[in-house]
Amino acid sequence: MNGEAVIEAVRKALGRSHQPGAVPIPPAIEEPLVRLVHTEIGLPELFVARAREGDILADLVGPDDLHRQLVHFLTHHDCRSVALARSPFLDRLGVEDALREGGLDVRVWPDVTLDEIYELDCGITDAAYAVAEVGGLLVRATPTHGRGLSLVPGIHVVIVEPRNLVPDLVDLFERLAADRDASAMTIITGPSKTADIEMNIVKGVHGPGIVQAFVLH
Amino acid sequence: MSGSSQPHRSTEPHARAAAVQAQASGSDFQSLSARAAGDEKLKAAIGSAVMRQFTGRRLRLLDLPDAQQLRTLAGRIRQHALDHLDYYLELLAARVRQNGGLVHFAADAAEARRIIIQIARDNGCRSVVKSKSMVSEEIGLRPAMEEAGLDVVETDLGEFIIQMAGEGPSHIVGPCIHKTAAAIGKLFSEYFGTPYSEDPGAMTRQARAYLREKFRRADMGMTGANFVVAETGLVCAVENEGNVRQSITTPRILVSVTGIEKVIPRMADLAVFLKLLGRSSTGQAMTVYTNLFGGPRKAGEGDGPEQFHLVLVDNGRSRILGSEYREALRCIRCGACLNACPVYRKIGGHAYGHVYSGPIGAILAPLMQGRERFRDLPQASTLCGACFEACPVMIDIPSMLIRLRGEDAAQGGLGWRQRLAFCAWAEMLKSPLLYGVLGRIKRWLLRRRADEEGYISKGAGMVRGWTDVRDLPMPAKKTFHQLWQGRRK
Repeated sequence: MNGEAVIEAVRKALGRSHQPGAVPIPPAIEEPLVRLVHTEIGLPELFVARAREGDILADLVGPDDLHRQLVHFLTHHDCRSVALARSPFLDRLGVEDALREGGLDVRVWPDVTLDEIYELDCGITDAAYAVAEVGGLLVRATPTHGRGLSLVPGIHVVIVEPRNLVPDLVDLFERLAADRDASAMTIITGPSKTADIEMNIVKGVHGPGIVQAFVLH
Repeated sequence: MSGSSQPHRSTEPHARAAAVQAQASGSDFQSLSARAAGDEKLKAAIGSAVMRQFTGRRLRLLDLPDAQQLRTLAGRIRQHALDHLDYYLELLAARVRQNGGLVHFAADAAEARRIIIQIARDNGCRSVVKSKSMVSEEIGLRPAMEEAGLDVVETDLGEFIIQMAGEGPSHIVGPCIHKTAAAIGKLFSEYFGTPYSEDPGAMTRQARAYLREKFRRADMGMTGANFVVAETGLVCAVENEGNVRQSITTPRILVSVTGIEKVIPRMADLAVFLKLLGRSSTGQAMTVYTNLFGGPRKAGEGDGPEQFHLVLVDNGRSRILGSEYREALRCIRCGACLNACPVYRKIGGHAYGHVYSGPIGAILAPLMQGRERFRDLPQASTLCGACFEACPVMIDIPSMLIRLRGEDAAQGGLGWRQRLAFCAWAEMLKSPLLYGVLGRIKRWLLRRRADEEGYISKGAGMVRGWTDVRDLPMPAKKTFHQLWQGRRK
């Protein structure tokens, strides 16, 4: 692996013989040009509106109503088996028990394998961040939050903690710059989609065809 | 070739022939483009896809407070990264290694193919799921891997379709926009041996079921990269379908292959580029999935790759970096210049005979793979400037096309006929006498051919090229010079 040769060729092309001593300073990011959402007010409402534009089913729910709505949604979509991420937030909400009481077959990550979740109806996770600007959900790969949960089953349900809402992609990447722990992250702004055949939009190609976000408030 | 005489001819043989010919004999732009421009079905298919993206882009740019200024900023950041590419590549490599990944540099296409096939061999991989990557097309990766005995499947639906058809992509973003649903239906029915259907939903579900099993059993996943971030060593790959996500989730070996120029300095830069990329390419505020990854799964994780390899390909890029065309390397492969180009819209991507088509392809193809072979491409532009106006990183494409043309002409790129014609033209323009006499003869000849309404519908010689497709108005009785003389009296 001749990394040296390629970097040498690059350096030569730039007219240098060695690495310059000073660290280059990239152009400043002028926030007024980049930022589209300028306020923290009304983020849950903005998130829901934008998520819906991207075909995410999104609803604000009160903590008391979450269990009922969650089970209702799953029954409505004929889900019998779900894979659940584990997190302090989901534990606190008592999601696992509520699902079992609702008659669902619940498998909790990582006690369930990636191969097994190919056979399950729904994956339920929380989101590390939710970006109001684009109605986007950021899922992070961790030992208790498998990558496959939000990808492999045909339906993905996300429960959003209000304090994880950020206004703009500018805010998201500011936080992610400091986050060196995750081996993989994905921002999700809708159900899996394609328009490859004559620009016809078809949902549910390789990822979930239905994404439901419950935003607590 | 005239398409109007065969209006119902399928686009199939054309596109396939175009792709095959392009691979076999280099670029034969003249005949390929003439054939494509005569294919009404092809033009209709490309036109509708491209116009939707084109108008989508224009609508979505309105979200931005000042799109022009944001594009300027994005261009400056890309330019900065290129101007300090040595620094950022070293930083990137260090960060990827810190994340537990392996970095490989490949000087050319052959080395890149060797490295990737070696990774597969070292790890006993047999089946490979590949997501869309223009660099992998550029380096001819899939055929080489197949030759090495690997089972490689393209998992982006559009790429899967052209893999079935044995073609190359005709658009950077929409690889199979040249194909009709009926043609795709026929492919599916032949490939799977199932009854014919041209319903996009049914075909997509069929592909999903087939590819899902492929993902589930794959040993190796491959992705490209839209950006690689030096600060964190993360690859950013955007998509709508979820096949990139599958590639970074299921297989035990993950290989991302990209060009050395794709590096950007900071995570914060992603806010700038992601706001422009989706809008410029498909008219989306943001693609469905934006994936950020680097390194293998961490201790305790139940899925994700055990190994991560980043393959950074030079393949002519450092040469461009050292030339007057450095700015062309800013390109983020959004396809907006293709959609904006009046020439691309009429002939599609295959006619260019290179993996990168459209205005940016007309610069990159000759610079990367030989000016001789792709001499015609810089000529395939009206220099209208629509590509420059569309470019999210402000690459001055028209100026570079002109420079390429000039360099080609200076190196004797013009044939003796053209040189003779231009010399004669110059002589005529220099001599008032010649100009007057020849002008008189030209007017007399043309006026003789005009009908009662004052139009020439059948010209002779060079004029035929015009009158075959539209009428030419008869020249006026008096020339401007004559009128001017009259006024002065």
